[in-house]
Amino acid sequence: MNIIKKKSWQISENEVTPKELFQKRRSFIKLGAASIVASSSIMELLAKEDLPKVTLDFIKDKNPNNLKLNTYEQITSHNNFYEFTTNQSKVKDIAHTLQTDDWKVTIDGLVENPMVVDLDDLIKMFTLEERIYRFRCVEGWSMVVPWNGFSLSSLVKKVKPLSNAKYIRFETLVDPTSFPDQKRGALGVIDYPYVEGLRIDEAMNELSFLATGLYGDFMPKQNGAPIRLVVPWKYGFKSIKSIVKISFVEKEPLNTWQKENPDEYGFYANVNPNVDHPRWSQKKERVLGSFLKQNTLMFNGYENEVASLYTNMDLRKYF
Amino acid sequence: MRRVFLYLIALLPLVYLLTRVFILDNVNDPIKYIYTITGATATVILFFTITISIIRNKINLIKYRKEIGLFGFFYALLHLLNFIVLDAQFDFEFVVKETLDKPFIYLGMISFFIVLFMAVTSTKELFRKYNKYHKFVYLALILITIHWIMAQKAISILQFIYILVILVIGYYKLVQQIDKNN
Repeated sequence: MNIIKKKSWQISENEVTPKELFQKRRSFIKLGAASIVASSSIMELLAKEDLPKVTLDFIKDKNPNNLKLNTYEQITSHNNFYEFTTNQSKVKDIAHTLQTDDWKVTIDGLVENPMVVDLDDLIKMFTLEERIYRFRCVEGWSMVVPWNGFSLSSLVKKVKPLSNAKYIRFETLVDPTSFPDQKRGALGVIDYPYVEGLRIDEAMNELSFLATGLYGDFMPKQNGAPIRLVVPWKYGFKSIKSIVKISFVEKEPLNTWQKENPDEYGFYANVNPNVDHPRWSQKKERVLGSFLKQNTLMFNGYENEVASLYTNMDLRKYF
Repeated sequence: MRRVFLYLIALLPLVYLLTRVFILDNVNDPIKYIYTITGATATVILFFTITISIIRNKINLIKYRKEIGLFGFFYALLHLLNFIVLDAQFDFEFVVKETLDKPFIYLGMISFFIVLFMAVTSTKELFRKYNKYHKFVYLALILITIHWIMAQKAISILQFIYILVILVIGYYKLVQQIDKNN
């Protein structure tokens, strides 16, 4: 059992200003300040205030590689979430329709302990951690995100896969009242449900993570609330959002983008600057908020941790 | 007066782009954003230049067609400069390699050279000599369309609407040609 002790500097729940009041106060101050001055220093100050309140308890990531975090604003206003729209900057405006109350996650397939569990109960089973990870989209943009959540391996150990379980298949919610693109039927951008998968040994790698928050607060809807996968050495589309089902299976699942366009997207989707996407180069990436590009790293900079998973595999063939 | 008004409209997307990128500073992926705005504007303007002769009975803009076309070229040039300056950071080897390697890029590049040719031969004397080759604008428009659709990860409603608009313009162009030949 994991008991999280509060640190001496952490204040107790009843000392905390309720979120609504806090936000009202903030917008009031902003209004006042904006009406008087709009100097850049004030704007910067306000931008800093745009961080969410830290509502979760977690083990902090010491950030040993000194990754420079993208702002909360950037991370929550640039989203690939086709269930809403293909317009990355619009997702945040319409994501409020996602209904996350009483969220349940089904864990089934080849496991000793299948379950249908309330998300709150699922989260209580694990120690929450912070993971500061690079995130690289297959389209060529990237960011650094401080996720909160728990390692996927701890969940796998808890449900005990049977020996013939070789892969894990993940599924996103299907609910047309939550997701506008799911109302469009054949005119929808992709086939739903969105499906992703990992090999069991990939899932057991310490980096594989189930995120339930970011920047110390609950997961914003546009980022895949209430629970999403984060696999930092693979292109972003592997990190499936708003998960309702985790199945342990024998055969490699057909993931959504491979199904949509098998010539361009594979099952593995490891970040690899030496293997181009058929339509564009993957050598460099555009870090959000920057005019300058930077070199993309092999396995997105996690080569030491994950390269051993792919020894003797032709990464051009298994892209 | 009408000319000033047209110039202002044509410059609006550039002003909007510069405001968002440098003044409001709220664009997360500036390189991509510059591609989108300059590319979309060039495409719309170039399609508009071929529409001018269809709508001439309603609103006659024929005498501004050259200038409107040059604005289209201007946005296409910004689009290309974005590729060379910001995206490739003056790595010309990368520019050449990508251009030869990736269909999506060489289609765009061929279109650019067609539009460049038209811009250069738009002076009075040269136009007299080369105007018959300005029909290549139709090829450029087809290539730009493929280029644009190839740049998307998936086809969505916006692309369908775009293609619908093109079909409408194409239909009227065809009717115009048939009328001319009769």
